Amino acid sequence: MADVLVRYFAAAADAAGREEETVSLPEGATTGDLKRLLVERYGDEMARVFRSGSLLVDGRATRDEHVPLGARADVLPPFAGG
Amino acid sequence: MTATPTAARVAAVEPGPELTLDQRRRFIRQLTLPGFDEVAQRRLLAARVLVIGAGGLGSIVLPALAAAGVGTIGIVDHDVVEPSNLHRQTIHTAVDVGRLKVESAADRLRALAPEASVVPVAERLTPENAGRMLDSWHLVVDGSDNFETRFLVNDECVRRDVPLVWGAISQWGGQVGSVWRSPEYRDLFPQPPADEDVLTCAIGGVLPAVCAVIGSLMSSEVVSLLTGTGDALLGRIAVYDARRARFRELEYGPTEQPAPDSLPQPQTEENPMTDSITPAELAAMDKEGLQLIDVREPWEVELTAIPGAVNVPLGTIGSAADELDRTAPTVLYCHHGVRSERALQHLTAIGFGNVQHLEGGIDAYSREVDPSLPRY
Repeated sequence: MADVLVRYFAAAADAAGREEETVSLPEGATTGDLKRLLVERYGDEMARVFRSGSLLVDGRATRDEHVPLGARADVLPPFAGG
Repeated sequence: MTATPTAARVAAVEPGPELTLDQRRRFIRQLTLPGFDEVAQRRLLAARVLVIGAGGLGSIVLPALAAAGVGTIGIVDHDVVEPSNLHRQTIHTAVDVGRLKVESAADRLRALAPEASVVPVAERLTPENAGRMLDSWHLVVDGSDNFETRFLVNDECVRRDVPLVWGAISQWGGQVGSVWRSPEYRDLFPQPPADEDVLTCAIGGVLPAVCAVIGSLMSSEVVSLLTGTGDALLGRIAVYDARRARFRELEYGPTEQPAPDSLPQPQTEENPMTDSITPAELAAMDKEGLQLIDVREPWEVELTAIPGAVNVPLGTIGSAADELDRTAPTVLYCHHGVRSERALQHLTAIGFGNVQHLEGGIDAYSREVDPSLPRY
């Protein structure tokens, strides 16, 4: 198993009910695996965040589901308002 | 990714003339700041800064820049002041309801800083006018209220190598960052979200204090980038959450390219072709069997496109790669040739054997080959 520190921002923190947590995934798990796990755990609200927001793996945003995970993942919704 | 402190970079603004006695008196409290000297003040006085949006963020950024001595301030906004703006857009007052925001904001700035040159522009920024509107500014501040403008401003600033300070707010939170070449806003948010997934201030509400916090940080970024005092938010953003009373930072880098050793090897041993082709070369090419891929956003494709192209926005190229032909001759293009080059690097890295991208993008193609394609 590999541990990934997942940090949640704004609506992602609301969906998860926390600002960060360590998630354990099988060795070789990908961005797609992490998304599926978080949506399963936190439901539609998290799915909505993933539709509009970014998943960054060790500081690199990716929409590719096949990227291997690293030590840290950030879930960040974009804000439109000014 | 580890944090790499960036060396202080100074926007390309030459210091103006020596300070007058009046100016010394006016700016004495910042002239005495450690690390902020007379040359820094002269740079501010000579600087031309364009602020997009005279709303919640503009209300804080604009007076801060005028008061600090920024010499020329442009304001872009096409809206009028509404009663629902007044709880946070404090540059406007109750008597301004119904007036153009740029007019109301300009009045306030002129009162604060009579020596500043204020340029109100009551137009919406569009792909058609962006070239003209963003021309000749040392730095651009984006406090707009929609993603279309945010992506457009980012792309134009990156293309022109003009530093950009952006801030964004929603409900109880805000984000702020700066962009200068790379990494850029698109590295954080590869593509604009769908309209139905976007929460505007009108729908979700917004806490006035969030505008003040983020707007203040934006004005600090402007001073930092124009004068070279301190490290700006380049390659990282600050995120503020008013409900949890917490600031957090998020570091980011250019959008990940897959590591070469984890990828299938290219199917051709040698690629005798160069990476890029000119518009004339593309025009002369045999289109039979050619895979022409437009990596721009759908809204750009609606404006203009080269016939026969399929649209695969840059942010989706990784997941769409499986559906593309890895061996067919492939040409990528975008607006000006920046995004297509990035897409080319990605496709080459995952084993596409025969890929080129169009130099200068569809803009150059329109100028040099097919003037019937509208430019934007």
